[in-house]
Amino acid sequence: MKLHNQAHLNGEQIIRAVIDEKELAGADRQHLLECQLCNKKVAWFKDELQELGKNAGLSVPPLTKNITLPREERTPVSHKSSWLPSFGVAAMAGLVLFFYFLGMESMSPRLTPFQSSSSEALVEDEYLMEKIFQMVENPLSDELYEITGDNGGFDEEFLQFVVPDIQEDFQSENFIQGGINQC
Amino acid sequence: MATEKNKNMSLEIAALADSARDGNRWSFQELMSMFQEDIYRLVYYRTFSQMDAEDITQEVFVQAYRKLKSLNDTQKFRAWLYTIAVNRCNDFLRKKKYLSLLRMRSVQEQEFMEEGKGMGNNYNDSIVKKRFWEQVRSLLDKLSVMEREVFTLRFMDHRNINEIAVILDKSESTVKTHLYRALNKVRKDAVFFQEFRESMS
Repeated sequence: MKLHNQAHLNGEQIIRAVIDEKELAGADRQHLLECQLCNKKVAWFKDELQELGKNAGLSVPPLTKNITLPREERTPVSHKSSWLPSFGVAAMAGLVLFFYFLGMESMSPRLTPFQSSSSEALVEDEYLMEKIFQMVENPLSDELYEITGDNGGFDEEFLQFVVPDIQEDFQSENFIQGGINQC
Repeated sequence: MATEKNKNMSLEIAALADSARDGNRWSFQELMSMFQEDIYRLVYYRTFSQMDAEDITQEVFVQAYRKLKSLNDTQKFRAWLYTIAVNRCNDFLRKKKYLSLLRMRSVQEQEFMEEGKGMGNNYNDSIVKKRFWEQVRSLLDKLSVMEREVFTLRFMDHRNINEIAVILDKSESTVKTHLYRALNKVRKDAVFFQEFRESMS
């Protein structure tokens, strides 16, 4: 048999024929139709590749897992989902505002009951000290003091507390001195 | 005859996909039973792990079910499903590569252990299959990412050039070019074909 194109197909042409015979030039395609050797080469390569695919399929371990679909979504759920995010956002915004104002309140300089009672005590102390200083700076003479028969509204015990005697204070002084010496 | 059968099959798939897109759950389950084996194999060819292939197959169908409304041409359901599967595999392999950098145990060691679990009871059969996959992997390792993808889709997943072009969103000539390069490399590894044939016989 006389071949249309005497030259056999080369490796590149064989591959092109395996991919798609239309990829070959007209003369080469004609040669492939007529040449048994080239045809055999193409067929051999195709068979090898087919065998590879077949063996690959056979060598895959069987599918053991049951492939399932996710649960069907119900309409009410989708309806809920339309307002749920808005509700969530509104609730979140409310919480943020609540904590914001709570923070503002705590930062404002309002006096607590404890603070207010201690400030009252301070005012009283100041007033008392003022009175004491007045008494110390402007003492009445003994004669006049006896005439008034007044002790300035303060009893002895109180005055002893405010202006203790040196004798009584000695221990504390001694204690301080001892402390200093110890240091 | 075969063409007629394929045409009828394509029409059936398109009808089921149409129905599933309109919310018919049963139709989608039919499609699932038609394609789950194919998708599972496709994933296995890329992950070489039974456990991962099963999990990814599940994910592929869940994703397809959720996104079915976005499919305009139901005639292309199969290609669309394959695209999802290929993309999921690529995502998985990317993550695996990243994780392997963080783990102490090597990827090869893990894969060997996983392969061992899926071997089944027949020890000899398992050894043959293991050897076969080792050879396939060494062959695929010689190819670039795109060459490997095109080669696997054409000769292991049995898709034609036109389908591969749709799945990978490339032109047919691009697919042919990658396939040509892949076959050129594979041809040089002719020993492989002889070896795996002997091992399977």
